[in-house]
Amino acid sequence: MKRLSLAAAILACLIAPAAAQATKDVLTIDAPNDAATLDPHLQWDADSYGVYRNIFDNLVTRDASGKIVPQIATAWRTLDDTHVEFDLRTDVKFHDGTALTADDVVFSVKRITNPDLKSSQLSQFNQIVDAKAEGPGKVVLTTQSPYPVLLAQLVKLSIVPKAYVERVGDQEFNLKPVGSGPYKLREWQKGVQATVDAVDTYWRGKPPFKTVVFRAVPDVSTRIADLKTGRADLVRLLPPDEAIALKKEPALNVLTVPTERVGYMFINAQAGPTTDLKVRQAIAYAVDKQGIIDALLQGLGKPVNSIGADPIFGYQADIAGYGYDPAKAKALVKEAKAEGAELTFLTSPAYDRRIVEAIQQMVNDVGLKVNVVMLDHATFLRRRQGTPAEAGQLAIGVWSCACQDADGIIFPLFRTGSTWSKYSNPAFDTAADAARSTLDEAKRMAAYKSAYEVLRQDVPGLGLYQAFASYGARKELQWQPTSNESLFVMDMNWKR
Amino acid sequence: MLRYAAGRLVQAAIAVLGVLTIVFIVMRFSGDPTLLLVPEGSTQEAVDALRKQLGFDRPVVIQYLDYLQSLGRFDFGISVVQRIPAIDIVASRVPYTVMLALGALAVALFVGLPAGIAMAVWRGGWLERCLSALALTGQSLPTFLSGMLLIIVFGVVLGWLPTSGAGDIRALILPSIALGALSMSTFARMARIAIIDELGKDYVRAARARGLSKAGAVERHVLRNAAIPVVTVAALEIGNLLAGAVIVETVFAWPGIGQLAIQSIQSRDFLVVQVIVLLISIVYVLTSLLADLVYALLDPRIRLAS
Repeated sequence: MKRLSLAAAILACLIAPAAAQATKDVLTIDAPNDAATLDPHLQWDADSYGVYRNIFDNLVTRDASGKIVPQIATAWRTLDDTHVEFDLRTDVKFHDGTALTADDVVFSVKRITNPDLKSSQLSQFNQIVDAKAEGPGKVVLTTQSPYPVLLAQLVKLSIVPKAYVERVGDQEFNLKPVGSGPYKLREWQKGVQATVDAVDTYWRGKPPFKTVVFRAVPDVSTRIADLKTGRADLVRLLPPDEAIALKKEPALNVLTVPTERVGYMFINAQAGPTTDLKVRQAIAYAVDKQGIIDALLQGLGKPVNSIGADPIFGYQADIAGYGYDPAKAKALVKEAKAEGAELTFLTSPAYDRRIVEAIQQMVNDVGLKVNVVMLDHATFLRRRQGTPAEAGQLAIGVWSCACQDADGIIFPLFRTGSTWSKYSNPAFDTAADAARSTLDEAKRMAAYKSAYEVLRQDVPGLGLYQAFASYGARKELQWQPTSNESLFVMDMNWKR
Repeated sequence: MLRYAAGRLVQAAIAVLGVLTIVFIVMRFSGDPTLLLVPEGSTQEAVDALRKQLGFDRPVVIQYLDYLQSLGRFDFGISVVQRIPAIDIVASRVPYTVMLALGALAVALFVGLPAGIAMAVWRGGWLERCLSALALTGQSLPTFLSGMLLIIVFGVVLGWLPTSGAGDIRALILPSIALGALSMSTFARMARIAIIDELGKDYVRAARARGLSKAGAVERHVLRNAAIPVVTVAALEIGNLLAGAVIVETVFAWPGIGQLAIQSIQSRDFLVVQVIVLLISIVYVLTSLLADLVYALLDPRIRLAS
């Protein structure tokens, strides 16, 4: 009898938190880190963006299918190669009650492109050389040269209130940001959590939750424990193993979405044994992409034929990739007289060690000898972007330009003279340059077709898989995550 | 005594400066944060421009002198990542670290000392065997494992305590136990050894001969004499508790200095790291100084000798 009542008491404890909430007022989201800055023009890491995305409106945005659609701008037209005109909404108000005008849009563009702000996002916007208000609801942006990725970049441009920022200054604005988005900041306990409250008069409608709390929980097991106990309703960044394990929990949902991030392998074409094309091709044939996806990513990834994926403009789905063919790889290594050649594989804790080791084994199996060198991430980046001799022969990465355009991927990775590129081919450069200097989508697509064709021939890198993002959520949360991984609470809902 | 203390302080200041210099140099030579801050596809010009704006393009010696100069003005600089004064970032985390350290110290003292005393007094009995098993567990279980176990048992299965966070005082209990376990074992072992040591001495025998019970002898004479080694260990443990909570703070999402240190090192947020190092070295120096003073209070021989 005693034991029974103890069991009942424990059961009551377990049930109590769920039964106590009649309606869902507070949504709690666990992310690995606290926002670094809430000034949307400074840092742009996923944890900062996840919070301030909900406080600010952007000039344009993407819908669930990934199409660029209006937000503050209602329509836009290309005036000529370097001028784009935007019509703006005139019914939007900032949280301090002032109206959002063309001046605020101009101010936002000029602020983020001003080197004095020291924004780490500057390079995403520095093609914009001028912004001018043409009347209360019109803005014209001028780019340095024809810039086809402009709209894709403007998806990330938050509109900030000119008068408020000028009055309080940059430092205060970072701590007490004021935007025009669906939520306004109530309290930011640095390192702990940011709490935002719904703006019921938001122009797109009433936000789904009265309050949203973004908590910083670095350890993934703790995020999962929070989710299981109902302390969190949504957790970000679930590794594949944990995502699969969570699927068995009846009270929880695992939300998975293919992203624009591409797992790839860099192969140095300018230093070491990999300067030989045959060795690079051998490595491409040696890697079992499907094996990596099945065994290490638990199926949460999709093999790709090149460094690109479906959500990315310019991706060529019909280019033949390199299949898994170890016999052919061995033959190529032999042909190149490279048996036993030593390759340096640079990596950092930012990358999945198991994938690195799997690739090491696969490449060793076809007759080469791979030495893995583990570096801290800053040193890894310095060497990987340094001279060809410093960069090692192999490295893996997961690339995202957060712009869903091939220009943001293969241009920095392989264009002659770019910091990441350890490769040079005029045919590729011509195609990549052509694709970035015209606004004509058909011409751009054709240029990328030849660019990707050249990359397939030369193998200065190898596309491995399209990465999936996994979120853990309480069963009641209705939400379809998007491929650009923005945590926009307006798109969420709660259903009992 | 005063001269001795002043000498110790000068030594301590030199040590702190030395630590700061080493950290400064090591962090500068292992790469600056610019590459971690810019979007992946940035051009070399963009990277160079940001590096210049952040001041990391200057020679390390100039950066160092500049840093010392600002330090002299108590200006700790502005975090390049969070864009607010580094001292504010660290200061906002200090209360959490102090809370956790006190919680862990409470666990260590209130469980460890009685356990150690009991182990010494009832030496060889079943109680000692049970307690030494407990002490051994506390000492050998790594905190990332004990932390996770505590979360699963008390947070998820029983639902008694919050699984993470720093919102309420209940959230402090599990991390305090996880962090305090190691110190608890240390205290228990130290107390046991010190008391056993004292129990074998003549004055105890004399006290027992006067008719004092064993418990009475321990209470009236032994504890005070056994306290000196325990105080030494306590001083070191306070330093450890303040600085060594990195894993516990990460597992429990407790926003203290340890968690901040790891995050700042990873993001190469130099100025924040430097403030943390400065703080921790000062804490170490002060606690050992404090321990010296407490010795003098406890032991008249030390007091008289100086």
